[in-house]
This record gives sequence, structure tokens and C-alpha cells, in this order.
Amino acid sequence: MLTLTSPVETRYHRWSAGVKLAALAGFTLVLFGVDAAALPPLALIAIAAAYLAQGTAFALLGLRLLRPLWPFVALILVWHLWQGDPGRGLAIVLRMLAALAAANLVTLTTRLTDLLAVIERLCRPLSPILPPRRLALAFALAIRFLPAMALHLSHLREAWSARSPRRPGWRVLVPAVLAALDDADHAAEALRARGGTD
Amino acid sequence: MTDTFASPAAIRIDCGPVTLSGRRVLEPLALTLAERRIGIVGRNGSGKTTLLRLIAGLVAPASGGVRMGEVDPFADRRGALSAVGILFQNPDHQILFPTVEEELAFGLTQQGRSRREALAEAHRALAEAGRAHWASAAVSTLSGGQRQFLCLLSVLLMRPQTLLLDEPFSGLDLPSIRRMERRLAGLSQRLITISHDPAALLGTERVIWLEAGTVRADGPAARVLAEYRAEMERLGAEDADADLAG
Repeated sequence: MLTLTSPVETRYHRWSAGVKLAALAGFTLVLFGVDAAALPPLALIAIAAAYLAQGTAFALLGLRLLRPLWPFVALILVWHLWQGDPGRGLAIVLRMLAALAAANLVTLTTRLTDLLAVIERLCRPLSPILPPRRLALAFALAIRFLPAMALHLSHLREAWSARSPRRPGWRVLVPAVLAALDDADHAAEALRARGGTD
Repeated sequence: MTDTFASPAAIRIDCGPVTLSGRRVLEPLALTLAERRIGIVGRNGSGKTTLLRLIAGLVAPASGGVRMGEVDPFADRRGALSAVGILFQNPDHQILFPTVEEELAFGLTQQGRSRREALAEAHRALAEAGRAHWASAAVSTLSGGQRQFLCLLSVLLMRPQTLLLDEPFSGLDLPSIRRMERRLAGLSQRLITISHDPAALLGTERVIWLEAGTVRADGPAARVLAEYRAEMERLGAEDADADLAG
């Protein structure tokens, strides 16, 4: 999700993040709530058209993002074939593909900060127990430090490999966790140096 | 950032020892820091960074404390933000946000500015520094020198009267060091700079030499740095750095 935003500027980039998220919610609700045989294929065609309207390169990118789904597609189809109900399996698969393609389309065309702004707005009623600024800070810190932790882990693996013929495996996890705690200490101090969380 | 800071309030340190996780890092101190350019030298583990964190209000002494005018930086965090800013030695310990503009805007929103204002100010500062294109860049794509520069810019934006710099040139290549030096030399704020390299502090008015958490020498840069250098050469001729902390 962190790096999913498409570098190619599409028409959808200019739509408001709130509208896109609401449309996505509505689309998914209808997709899974309405039981009509014609709906799943039509929904998938509509989404494919929405991708294709922004060029074949963009549509191919969308298709590539669906690739991790194929084991699930295969599993569901095989299961329903075995149950003697392939039509139902096909409907589930089409629904799943349409829902994910639609969600990816929103993520691809919306800047992260805009998504976070919508979430912050939606969480405003919770503000007495969950101050919106604190929530926003939590999101920002997660986005900043998840890649940093991954980088740290890869450094530890390198440091291991530089002095060992064996693969590092799980053994670097403990130092990685300790490093994460260390990072948390430093972040807390940096936060305090610039005004804390109020 | 061309504005002048007419006369930053003197920093008065009068405190008991500072103990971190059971280890006495700083002995009781009584110092008044009023000069505009102050250097702190000392060997590894002599307490330089802890002294800086004490001044920044990030650690508290056992008794007494630090004052800058009316502000106690440990107790009054809001007041501390405009009194003192700190540049950590490792930029990765300072950067909190995924993008450059968010990192720059954060301190300003902490000082009570709206998010929109803070972002506008961040963009203006970037443009002024000839780096407008950095605004939405991910901090993870910046080089070490660029991160250091981002950290300095974030702190400068908050316009503190005193800047605390912890080894600001460590890990930078020579051109980055020169650029950083130029940028720092042009500032009208008070600068308190830590370095283990005497040459980096030659331009300061006053140098404090810390040894084992206490002031070993304090005075004009030329004299203290000469003494420090002589002692370091003497120690270097022996077997140095074998003692463990604690």
C-alpha cells in the first residue's frame, strides 16, 4: 500500500478521495449484497473499462496487481467443481476480482495523505477517546518506520551473511526486534524535542 | 530565515547529577552560557550528548535544572520549542515522517500553526533553499547529507533562539560539510556545537571540555582546544579507550 500510488497521473487522481472511498464502499456493498447472476460479470467488465479508459499500460498495471490472487482463484474454482457447483464458484471468483480491482483502482489513484485525511475526518466522532491528531501521527509513524524496520532487518541479514556461511533465518529476528524498540526510544525523544503529541 | 535574534536569553545550568539507566553520566554542573558560538569537546562517553539533551529539556537532573530566561525546558515543553532546538547526531533518529513536507511541517503545527499554514511555510523554506522539488519526496530516498539538511531545516523553521548541534558533520562528505558550515555560519541564533574534532570548533567564542561528566576546562576556544589537543595526543600515545563505561 505504501508504494502503490501510480506515478502515472490519471483522470481519477483529480477526484476527491472521500468520493472515491464512498463509491468503493457502495460498489462493494452492491457487489456482495445483491444476488443476481448477471451482476458479477457486469461489475468486472465495468471495472476493466474504468482501467482501460486510462490506457492499456495502466490497465496492465491493474492486472499485474491482481496476480497474487491466482492461488485463491484456483482453490475456489477447484473446490466448487468438486462440489458440483462450478457456476457458484465462478460468481465468487468474479466478485472477488471485481472488488479487489476496484479497491486497487482507488489506491492507485489516491495520494496517501488524502486517504489519511478522509480517515481522520471519519474518526472525528471518536475524538474524545481518540484525538484525530494522535491518530494521524500514528499513521505517519507507521508509514515512516515500517520500511525503516525492513531496511534494518536486511542490514542485519547482510551483517550475518558477511560473517557466516549459513543463512540468517530466524536468528536475526531478536536483534531486529531490539533495534525496533531502540528506534521507538529515539522516535519518542525526537517527538519530545519538537513538542510531543499534543 | 534572515531575521535576527537580537539577544537570546542566557542559558543557566545549575543542577545535580544526571543518571541514565543507573549510570551517572553528568556530575553536578553550574554553567552560564551567554555567548553566540559555543563548542563542546570531549572524548567518547564524556557526557557531551547528555549535556546537550539536558539543555534541550530531554533529560532531567536529580535536582536543580536549566533555565533560559523564564523557560525551564524540561518542565515547559511549549516554551522550550521557541527557546531551543536540537539537531541529533543521527538524522534517522530525528526524522519522524515519511515525506519531506510532513517532516518540516510537524514542528510548526506543534507550535500552534494550522496544518495548511505549516505546509505553506515548509514549501516556502524549501523553495528558499533551492529544494522545492523535495516537498513530496519520501525521506527514505534522501542521502545522508540530504537527511541531515532536512533535519536542520526542520529545526530552523521553528525559529528557536538557541540551536544545539550534536556532531553536525559526522557522516557527511566534504562538499556537504562545507555547505552545512556555510549555512550555520550565516545563522544569527546561538549555536552550541558538539564535536570531537578540535578543528571544527576553532571559530567559536568559548569551548567547554567535558571529561567523565564534568567540566575539565572552559574558556576561549584557542586556549581550551590547544590543551585538549595536547592531552588527546598524549593519551593517544598510550593505550587508549580500554576502560568500559559503568
